[in-house]
Amino acid sequence: MPSRSIDLPQGTLDLLILRTLALEPLHGWAVSERIQQISSDVLRVQQGSLYPALHRLERRGWIKARWGTSENNRKAKFYELTKTGRRELEIEQDAWQKLTAAVSQILETA
Amino acid sequence: MILHDLLFRLRSLMRHPAAENELEDELRFHLERETQKYVKTGMSEAEAARRARLEFGGLDQVKNECREARGVSLVESLVQDLHYATRTLFHSPAFTACAMLTLALGIGANTAIFSVVNTVLLNPLPYPNPQELLAARENDSLANLEDMQRQTKSFASSGGINIEPMDFTGTGEPVRVHGAYIDAGLFTTLGARPMLGRLISADEAVKGGPRNVVLSYSFWRDFMGSDPHVLGRAIRLSDNSYTVIGVMPKDFTLPKELADVFLSLWVGYPDAAAERDVHFMHMYWRLKPGVPLGQAQAEIAQVDHRLAEEFPHTERERVTLLIPLQEWLVGDVRPALLILFGAVGLVLLIACANFAMLLMARGMARQRELMIRASLGARNGRLIRQRLTESTLLALAGGAAGLLAAKAGTELLLTLKPAELRRFDAIPMDARVFVFVFVISLLTGLLFGLLPAWSASRGDIAEGLRENARTTATGVSRSPLRSFLVTAELALALILLAGAGLLIKGFLRLRSVDPGFNPANVITMYLQLPGSRYSEFSLQTNFRRELLSRINAFPGVEAAMITDLPLAGNYVGHRVVVDGHATLPEGTEPVVQTLSVMGQYFGVMQIPIRAGRDFNAMDREGQPRAAIVNETFVRQLLPGQNPIGMRIDWSRSSDPPQWMTIIGVAGDVKHSGLNQPVDPAVYSPFSQNDEAWRKFMTLVIRTRVPAASLAEDVKKQVWSLDSQIPVSSIQSMDDLLAVSVAQERFNVLLLGSFAVLAVALAAVGIYGMVAYRVNQRTREIGVYMALGAQHRDVLRLVMKDGLKLGALGILLGLAGALALTRVMVSVLFEVKPTDPTTLIGVALLLAAVAMLACYIPARRALSIHPMTALRRE
Repeated sequence: MPSRSIDLPQGTLDLLILRTLALEPLHGWAVSERIQQISSDVLRVQQGSLYPALHRLERRGWIKARWGTSENNRKAKFYELTKTGRRELEIEQDAWQKLTAAVSQILETA
Repeated sequence: MILHDLLFRLRSLMRHPAAENELEDELRFHLERETQKYVKTGMSEAEAARRARLEFGGLDQVKNECREARGVSLVESLVQDLHYATRTLFHSPAFTACAMLTLALGIGANTAIFSVVNTVLLNPLPYPNPQELLAARENDSLANLEDMQRQTKSFASSGGINIEPMDFTGTGEPVRVHGAYIDAGLFTTLGARPMLGRLISADEAVKGGPRNVVLSYSFWRDFMGSDPHVLGRAIRLSDNSYTVIGVMPKDFTLPKELADVFLSLWVGYPDAAAERDVHFMHMYWRLKPGVPLGQAQAEIAQVDHRLAEEFPHTERERVTLLIPLQEWLVGDVRPALLILFGAVGLVLLIACANFAMLLMARGMARQRELMIRASLGARNGRLIRQRLTESTLLALAGGAAGLLAAKAGTELLLTLKPAELRRFDAIPMDARVFVFVFVISLLTGLLFGLLPAWSASRGDIAEGLRENARTTATGVSRSPLRSFLVTAELALALILLAGAGLLIKGFLRLRSVDPGFNPANVITMYLQLPGSRYSEFSLQTNFRRELLSRINAFPGVEAAMITDLPLAGNYVGHRVVVDGHATLPEGTEPVVQTLSVMGQYFGVMQIPIRAGRDFNAMDREGQPRAAIVNETFVRQLLPGQNPIGMRIDWSRSSDPPQWMTIIGVAGDVKHSGLNQPVDPAVYSPFSQNDEAWRKFMTLVIRTRVPAASLAEDVKKQVWSLDSQIPVSSIQSMDDLLAVSVAQERFNVLLLGSFAVLAVALAAVGIYGMVAYRVNQRTREIGVYMALGAQHRDVLRLVMKDGLKLGALGILLGLAGALALTRVMVSVLFEVKPTDPTTLIGVALLLAAVAMLACYIPARRALSIHPMTALRRE
């Protein structure tokens, strides 16, 4: 675990999960691995906090779950995006980009 | 979105065990996978597993968060809370009993009154489409009714009815029953169908129609032995034979009238039924669907106008005013019932305030436990929720107990026989009552549980803890919520007390009204002569005279007769003309009460003769006609004149007039009720009034022996003269007087008991507060006393707050009473709603109660021993 990892800002975990699932259905462990890999281990996701988020998204109807077989031949719960989830992802992604652009603009000019 | 959420939660709940397993599997898979990852990097199996667990975080916490995310935990924790609440409530039975009793009283009283309101005001009338039914304020004749029906388009139908007592001579003693003389439209209008046979048809409701009768269910059951083959049987009513053609169903009742048998108007009044100016029928109307009342009323007004032009002599003054049937039935009792309902609502508020204070006290007592649970990580919201669960559970249990109390209460109410409930023989508890109880219990538990829970979470606990640790400088916790509740309780109690005080004062005034006669030792009974054998006036007179002489022969008995008894209900009114006065247009002469008497009526009733003389034996048939008028008659019709010797007659009774000479003036009698004004009245001898239709009479007997023993002897005398005469309504004049104020008595009793309940609850509230403070300040008081404080100082210290709040509550209550008692105008008799003596009186009374409630616990402070108090910790 690198010492210079940062904690996720509030609310971004949902966005990251949706983005990760946008490519293909994954089980929970794979989602956590994927986020860590892609962020080059900069972002530190407390693995435990991933699951409540997944269940919350499922309740909202943005993702849905089904049981399947994992790459190591075990029964695993796979999550995939629903149509609503895909739409939400776009909205959130858009909002995020606007936010970060605005924040970085302030940081650069102010 | 919301739907999805709900369904998801529900599904999670339904497949709860499966979901738990899945969660278990899912998380285990993660940990295994993570462990594998570390094993691949060369760690030992055990080390890898440890690392994976570390990375993952608290497994149980994650599971919990997942459950919460899935929305299951809400229900789960509710079950937990319920379990916990039940357990803790059973652990403190005294508290539970106090809280439940408080609420059972408040909710029970409310439920009882709501059941009455529900039965009387809310339940729909037992007729199809009752909203279409109207009643007319004034009586009318059949001819007018038919004209109105013909000349209007707004109405589907109309019906007329007149109730008269009849005597049913089946087997044994003759029985007085209520006969309903109806036209063919009545049953149609009310939408009634027979249970057996048929109703009176339009073809037979004509002059000379057959003597057919439809029986009420109770008549059929009581006198016909529920005979299923009753149709076609002949029964004798008032000396005529009638053929039974139908039986009404059990649940059929007339809107206001009581009736045992139904007959055609044309059979009952073959002559009068055709007369346009004999307005003897009460009318019911049914609107066509969708026709507004205003339109119907406008149409009727046009017919009224036409009839007035067509028959100026008789029909000019008649007006037809239609009102919705429901309003006509409950209009009089609605204000009183709503006032009682409002009052009992205040009682509930006070009970709730006590409930909240009980919960607060309990919260304080349990603060250590709550503290420990909070420090163990129970979240504030969860703690509040738990206390709410407890208070709601208590309130629901209190509500259930209240329901039982209400059941007993409504039965008690029925025995008081108030006017509100005269139409009902039961107050059913229907679904609406149960919903009412459930909702107010739930609201009570939630709202009044939330108050203390919320105030506790905001700092009372912290404050309390500080106190427990005895570190505060003052050592006093002044909970603003508790102060507010005590003040509010006293204010509400004062409002109720003021209302009750005003009612009681009005009632006492009413009871002290002089009825104009002496009701003591007077019994009365109602007789009616069968028309067929007493059609001749002279026969009636002979019967009356013979009966009186027989009863007067009893030792210690004086008897007399009158047509209509004071306070018994109706009287017959006639228009009157005075000899020598300018002739008024026909139909505009003043109306007076007309009362035929025989025997020493004024002597028996002890009504004073103010001028002139009483009737004597010479005022009889064949002699000059004599009359006695009351004082109101003189005041209104002969002001400033000496009435003795003046002559009067009924207008249009005969031509030339057969003048009656006024021979005396009698004192006023409150004929229509103690709270009603006195109308002008004319008394005249039965024997001189050739009014053969007055076959009814009330025998009035003053006795020096217990009246009850006499009643049987009198009946025997009546039946020795004629065995077919029913004797009924045997009652003492005292009872009649009591019945005439039963309505007021009911209101006074109810509001009075609410006020007592309110004051008791408020006293308990203020007592509890002072007792709590004494308890809280035991150590401080001990120090005081050790330093040599006097009893007076200690009392002042502990009573100060209670008295201050008491005074504030009473002042606020006075303001509230001034604002609220105005709604009582309609139920108060000769008392202003702002009557200062009453308001000051109840304020002083409540102040005394509050002082006592403060003093009793405060006195305990005096017995505190300084050393014990200081050692106590």
